[in-house]
Amino acid sequence: MKMIAIALKDIKQSFRSFFAVGMMLGAPLLITGLIYFAFSGLTSGKAGSDLPTLKVAVVNLDRPAANQQNFGALLITFLNDKRMPDWLHTSELPDESTTRSEIDRQEIGAAVIVPVDFSSSILSANGSTGITILQDPTLTIGPSVLKDLLTQFTDGINGGKIAVTVASSQLASNGVKVNSAMQQGIIQNYSNWYSDLSTDIHHGQEPELVVQPPHLQSSTPVASSGTNPVANMMAQIMAGMLIFFAFFTGAYAAQSILREDENGTLPRLFSTPTQRSTILAGKLLAVFSIVLVQSIVLMTLASIAFHINWGQPLSTTLVVLGQVVAASGFGILLISLVKNSRQAGAVVGGVISSTGLLGGLFSASVPNMPGFFNNITHFTPQGWVMDGWKAALAGNPAGQTIPTFLVLLFIGIFFFAAGSVIFSRRFA
Amino acid sequence: MTTHDAIFVKNLHKNYGKNPAVQGIRFTVHSGEIFSLLGPNGAGKTTTISMLSGLTEPDEGDAFLMGHSIRLESQVARALVGVVPQEIALYMDLSARENLLFWGKMYGLGGAILRQRVDETLEIIGLTGRQKERVATFSGGMKRRVNIGVALLHRPQIVIMDEPTVGIDPQSRRHILDSVKELNRQGMTVLYTTHYMEEAQEISDHIAIMDQGKLIACGTHAELIRLVGEQARLELTLNADPSLVMQHWQMLEGVQQVSRSDGHVTVLAEDSNLILPRLFEAASQIKTRITSVEIQEPNLETVFLQLTGKALRD
Repeated sequence: MKMIAIALKDIKQSFRSFFAVGMMLGAPLLITGLIYFAFSGLTSGKAGSDLPTLKVAVVNLDRPAANQQNFGALLITFLNDKRMPDWLHTSELPDESTTRSEIDRQEIGAAVIVPVDFSSSILSANGSTGITILQDPTLTIGPSVLKDLLTQFTDGINGGKIAVTVASSQLASNGVKVNSAMQQGIIQNYSNWYSDLSTDIHHGQEPELVVQPPHLQSSTPVASSGTNPVANMMAQIMAGMLIFFAFFTGAYAAQSILREDENGTLPRLFSTPTQRSTILAGKLLAVFSIVLVQSIVLMTLASIAFHINWGQPLSTTLVVLGQVVAASGFGILLISLVKNSRQAGAVVGGVISSTGLLGGLFSASVPNMPGFFNNITHFTPQGWVMDGWKAALAGNPAGQTIPTFLVLLFIGIFFFAAGSVIFSRRFA
Repeated sequence: MTTHDAIFVKNLHKNYGKNPAVQGIRFTVHSGEIFSLLGPNGAGKTTTISMLSGLTEPDEGDAFLMGHSIRLESQVARALVGVVPQEIALYMDLSARENLLFWGKMYGLGGAILRQRVDETLEIIGLTGRQKERVATFSGGMKRRVNIGVALLHRPQIVIMDEPTVGIDPQSRRHILDSVKELNRQGMTVLYTTHYMEEAQEISDHIAIMDQGKLIACGTHAELIRLVGEQARLELTLNADPSLVMQHWQMLEGVQQVSRSDGHVTVLAEDSNLILPRLFEAASQIKTRITSVEIQEPNLETVFLQLTGKALRD
């Protein structure tokens, strides 16, 4: 009971401190919030959801030859894909004149005219073609986004065409005649490569829309919905903040032992009929509880404010527990090594920042970090926690976060024990 | 040690590094009395109290609180004592009531008894009306009162107070001294340390005088005064260097001791009326003027001066 009374008293004191609450909750939310607003709208996976509806009519005049790929139909499929923005409504109209009059009456905002020779020009060796975009001149943002989407579509087709041309020429030089089936295979390979490239460029795990032949679309894995690369980046940034400030809070809460010693309340506690081991255990319990409460509150607020999906509940729970144990143990050990609270201020700031930096907390969303840096991160407890978060955020099941959890548990308990021994000797 | 002894201190020693803080002190505090440890700063009072309250382990010797050894039964001994430390040891960001509730739990209280004791203690220290305010907003005197209140929560048989009136206003000092006397009337044994002679004189049944880690005298106020032969103490200020005149005064009949401190000369004499004209005459002969004279009847200051050769406040 005395141990719990000491812990509750410490928790109450911590959450009454403006500075402590600011550093525990305010600072990580503020920093992540600033980044979030810099990418405002993109993070929710509903980019531009506040834009007014844009009605787009496609006039598909494309007439491919028999057994030829119908790129006009592919374009309509592309614009009707479920991953397109909610505000983009695509329909078909029979001819250009009807379309123009509908734009004039502002019944539609934009139109895409696909020419008769669209497919045949793409598939011919030296063919050239283009898509015409008509738009209501009073609209700006919606048609611009439409243009970007169509550029992405045509870039994909052009890339595929180049791939087919290069591959055909290389195969022909080796005496192989390229038939239609081989062309389809080349296009598929190109699509896969383009998907990987897009993933890397956006530092995320979700591929962009990929132009593929219709018969391949059903077998293509569909990325999880509701997130996008920027949202993933935000989740990793918030995880970094969560870890950094959890370790800071662990050390700050542990400082209460030094502050109580300096204020005379610790010696007074020793003069009561309370075992010193009970007093120390109460202080340790307080550190653990404060970091746990901080982590839960931060994750909840971040989910609400930044739409962060923390992954599967069991995986996330294991990572949070590992983080709390490691941060608390690290804080106890760090504070046990400093002389007084004045010295602790500088030491905590320096050590937590440098180990956080080495642990990769500030570069979690940066792709292609050098290999040695990824190895260095494992020399810090923060690096291990970040590993756990990456696994949890990727939606991995609990089984894949258990090894990281066990490592963090070991680190935390070892630090706890070492710090406790040092404190016990100090106050013997 | 008898069954009437609340505290029995037996040959306690404590060194900090090579510096001896307490050197083999021995004294007894009877149940139900107020016992003061009087001495200048650095005399070893706080170290003695730290050992009795279980904060510091003695290097040698032992002490018994209500018969329980502080070395062998420290947990039991600590439960019998309420300690009021010299510095205010409270949680400034908690209210007076929250502080008392917390410390009560540390003394093993809980539930309705704890709440009742907290209410009673707030009444005793006169802070019932401000119990929900944070201690940080209190005046120095009010903080001192809460500091004392913490030690009374579990109704200890012995209260140890380490200079509880240092640095506070006269009104709060009065309140604290009255509280000590009231606690004593209720049957508590009080061990009180101070370097204010007047406080020790006012409240104590027995007084022990400490200097440089040693107990140099112990007894009632009257017994201590008798130690120095009930001499008068004269403090004189001169208009010149006192060295020469002190030599002359030392040789005068009826002068027991001459010493110098803080710009004045202190003379201990058997009869101030008889010696004063002689002091003026001797000073006049060497052309030194006495610019002020203060005569004090024998008191603890005189005792300390007689025993140590220096003033208590030095």
